[in-house]
Amino acid sequence: MAAADIPSAALRHHDLCSRGIRLARKMRSDVTDLLDIYVERQGLDASISVAAVDGVPAAAAERWAEQSGTQRLLDNLAAYRAFRTLLAQMLEEQREQLGDADAELGPALAAVLLQVSAFAYHLEELLELESRGAPAEEGSEPPAPPRLSLFEQKLRGLGVLRELAQWAVRSVRDLRQLAKHGPGTTLEGSGTALGLPESQ
Amino acid sequence: MFSGWNWAVHCFYLFLNICSFEVSGGLVQSCGHIIPESPVLALGSNFTALCILNESCLDFGNIYASQIIWKMKNKVVPKEQYREINITVSSVTFNDTSSLASPLTCNVLADGQIEQNIYGISVTVGLPPEKPENLSCIVYQLSNLRYPMNCTWNPGRHTFLDTHFRLKYRWSRESFPDCIPKSVNNSCTISDVQFFVNLEVWVEAANALGKAESDRLVFDPIEIVKPLPPHNLSVNSGILPTVLKLSWENRISAAVMKLKFNIRYRISSDTNWMQVPPEDTASPRTSFSIQGLRPYTEYVFSIRCMKEDGVGFWSDWSEEKVGVTTEDNPSKGPTVWRTIDASPSPAFWTVRLMWKALEPFEANGVILQYEVTVRAKPPLSHPPWRYNVTTTSLTLKLPNGTYEVTLIAHNRVGASPPSVLLIPSSNSKAPVKNIRTLPKDGKLWVGWTAPNNVLKYVIEWCLMSNSSDCITEWQVEPGNIQGTYLKGDIKPFKCYLITVYPLYADGQGSGQSVKAYLQQDRPSKGPTVQTKKVGKAEAVLTWNHLTVDEQNGFIRSYTILYKTVDGNETAVSVDPSKTEYTLSSLTSDTLYTVRMMAYTDEGGRSGPDFTFTTQKFGRGEIEAIVVPVCLAFLLIVLLGVLFCFNKRDLIKKHIWPNVPDPSKSNIAQWSPQVPAKHNFSSKDQMYPEGSFTDVSVVEIEADDKKSFSEQDLKPFDLLKKEKSTSEGHSSGIGGSSCMSSPRQSVSDSDEGETTQNTSSTVQYSTVVLNGYRDQTPVQVFSRSESTQPLLDSEERLEDHAGGSDGTTQRQHYFKQNCGQDETKTDRPFFERAKQIISANEEDLAGFAQLQISGQSSQPLGFELEENTQEAALPDVLQTSTEGQTVRPETVEGNVPSVDEMPKSYLPQTVRQGGYMPQ
Repeated sequence: MAAADIPSAALRHHDLCSRGIRLARKMRSDVTDLLDIYVERQGLDASISVAAVDGVPAAAAERWAEQSGTQRLLDNLAAYRAFRTLLAQMLEEQREQLGDADAELGPALAAVLLQVSAFAYHLEELLELESRGAPAEEGSEPPAPPRLSLFEQKLRGLGVLRELAQWAVRSVRDLRQLAKHGPGTTLEGSGTALGLPESQ
Repeated sequence: MFSGWNWAVHCFYLFLNICSFEVSGGLVQSCGHIIPESPVLALGSNFTALCILNESCLDFGNIYASQIIWKMKNKVVPKEQYREINITVSSVTFNDTSSLASPLTCNVLADGQIEQNIYGISVTVGLPPEKPENLSCIVYQLSNLRYPMNCTWNPGRHTFLDTHFRLKYRWSRESFPDCIPKSVNNSCTISDVQFFVNLEVWVEAANALGKAESDRLVFDPIEIVKPLPPHNLSVNSGILPTVLKLSWENRISAAVMKLKFNIRYRISSDTNWMQVPPEDTASPRTSFSIQGLRPYTEYVFSIRCMKEDGVGFWSDWSEEKVGVTTEDNPSKGPTVWRTIDASPSPAFWTVRLMWKALEPFEANGVILQYEVTVRAKPPLSHPPWRYNVTTTSLTLKLPNGTYEVTLIAHNRVGASPPSVLLIPSSNSKAPVKNIRTLPKDGKLWVGWTAPNNVLKYVIEWCLMSNSSDCITEWQVEPGNIQGTYLKGDIKPFKCYLITVYPLYADGQGSGQSVKAYLQQDRPSKGPTVQTKKVGKAEAVLTWNHLTVDEQNGFIRSYTILYKTVDGNETAVSVDPSKTEYTLSSLTSDTLYTVRMMAYTDEGGRSGPDFTFTTQKFGRGEIEAIVVPVCLAFLLIVLLGVLFCFNKRDLIKKHIWPNVPDPSKSNIAQWSPQVPAKHNFSSKDQMYPEGSFTDVSVVEIEADDKKSFSEQDLKPFDLLKKEKSTSEGHSSGIGGSSCMSSPRQSVSDSDEGETTQNTSSTVQYSTVVLNGYRDQTPVQVFSRSESTQPLLDSEERLEDHAGGSDGTTQRQHYFKQNCGQDETKTDRPFFERAKQIISANEEDLAGFAQLQISGQSSQPLGFELEENTQEAALPDVLQTSTEGQTVRPETVEGNVPSVDEMPKSYLPQTVRQGGYMPQ
């Protein structure tokens, strides 16, 4: 059974990587469009600099090239789960601010949120395929974000989207790496990966 | 229907429950209930219901299970289906729920007779849902970010129950809210789906009898996308006149989907699309250059797209975009032809060159002008004629000879290849043979048997019409064919004259012609027939041929239809080339109605009716009758003349007896005593004694008296009286005596002494009114007695020669006509009266006086004459009145005495009743 499953697993892995890459690209494209919409609708300046936002995972990673496949998947999964939460929060805030009258930003946010969810699902599938299993999400509610002013909410949203765009680019690269090496290769260094926290 | 029935059942059930509630409320105690309560049953299954009586009813109402009656609606359920389980429970069983009807009630017979309802339930019958089949989904792109997914399925059979469908979808680790159809049960749309993640989709159907699920589909929604078509198309002319570049924008991100395309295009005026080979556009792009187009042609483009790998659906075609290619050199020269008119002078031709404008795909642009070059061939020597024209014809006057015409078309880009036409001095080459036509597919095909080595053919045709000239159209066909369709607006029911000319490299064949119709019809009218000549038994009919506009086809035959008024119609078929026909074996003197029909292949039409009557007699028959009759008449006349000639004496004696002319008599010389003196007169010589044996005596029949009234006869009575009262003078009647003769007067006179005694009184006439000849005479005798001698002197006669002549003539008249047809005499009498008037005015006056006096005093005296003269007399009177106006006093004042009376032989009665001789 295992022998028969190896080719199908490899195909499945390849398919997941391939579609994950395309999804990440689409997400990158959509997030870029969403950023334009967001800046415009929130009355922000596109050139405004936003400092690191608490709770937003950073795409930049030291020794990225040295990471194992599983580690990459786990990092991505943690990041996208965080983005999913942040985007859901942004969507709620946006509805509170603009209501349902805004027919452009809300749907765009929802679409990106769905893509983030889909990508997280991809990552879980890949982890499942590598017999690693996706770490469970935290069962309890995430810690309530500190109460922010409206402007701070806008800035935080801008930071989330910018970081998501970065992550989309990184995810494409990560999945390419995974696709190159196949499902077996990702097991390298899995021992270190196991020690990673399951959630961020 | 089923739900409506259920509603009614529910109402009834509610009513029963209310009753039960009231009962339980204390009014009446419920005696039982049914199990199960309002069941939903599968159609066709069996069903058992129990009616359980309360214990209390047993005590108070003596009601037991054996008394229970089950009813469906108002119909009692057969007892065979009952079962008494115990004293308080009765069951009823239905083997097939399809026979069930709500409500199902449990009843008892109270006191053995009164039926009382215990309880009732409603039964709902239906079917469990079937497994939804044929689930399929498609993702429509509505915008760059919106991708709703619509799934459809087959809901299966009708269940008669309220059945709910839900479209369920989920990722393997995450479920989404169900999609619940609105208003339908076979489709649902998910507002947004996420690509690149496998989605599991299925349909769940559920009702009171069960639940069913469709097969589950697992797919990545990106594989079932129907994208929006590319937009913002633009067409740019390329460097080449056969290339256009089409550009567009895709509305789906390449990150989402890589696309392939289909590009279609067509010429604006054409409806057929052409397509760029799909393999040329199978990769993502936003522009494409279409090659192989026609120069200077307007094209319409459209494009669609789908996922590059072919998984999914094609988008709709995009909006159309128009582009025009640039101009190029004309691809060929115009086809040229000519007509030659040599009518003014055989030595010079009027050559009309004509050519067809190039088709757009040949012109490759706007033709600015045509360059015509005409070169004379030996033996003619003339430098070439060159013309630049903008029209498509050119008329030249050229000497008879052989010419080569070259034609070049120019547009903005350049010139076309030359077209050459050889115009030989004579069409000496072989013509085509066996030219024929055939209508086919709404077009007219003309074919021929081709001679050898033909370079090309020119087919000329024109519409033949009486109302317009034959406008020639033509076309050129290659030399390797033997038939072609006429390219033009060929109308049905019109006659076309088609001529085919073969053109050779070194000459031309003469044209061969044929007439043809694209489609024939009945003639629009029939021939108007008329007779040219009508005889006794035959009639020559003539007609004119129908005009070509009226024929509507080839006239195949004429039919002449003729009939008498009450006879059967006879038809005669006539050759269409004839315009005359002779109908024979007709009945003489009979009215015939004839009409004529002209037939084409499609039928005939009748002309107007024409009627004629055959003659009663045949030719020569009249002559054969008339000529002999005339000859016989002439013969009879001749014989009569001869007979009369031979018997002239006898005839003369009877018809024109010689009457002595008193005017020529000499009364002076005449004497009864000296009769011999008479013998000296010429008359006596002419009429010897013996010749007077047959002197006529005018007699008036006794019967004829009736024609005279008593008054009419009075004058005669008066005459008699006067005769008797007149101093013994007997009257001698003068002018009015008929056939009187002096001799007879003498013989009639019984009183010769009186006449002899009175020298101045001369008895010269005796008037006898009698019948003619052998008729019984009437003894009315008048005797004129004149105091003045009748011819008292010859001088007097001579003095009044004219008047005397007139009176003499009148006297003759009276004498001659007493026994003749009176009407014939009227006119001459009148004329003579006129002569009298014109001859002597004085006599006229006297005559008029006489007339008037006679008229006014004794009209009866005239009536005698009126009986014989009729109209003549008024004429005379009218004329006489003129004289009366001249001297009226003469008439009124002076009653004319005998002496004063003008002398006349006219017998007259006067007022005194006497007969007045003059």
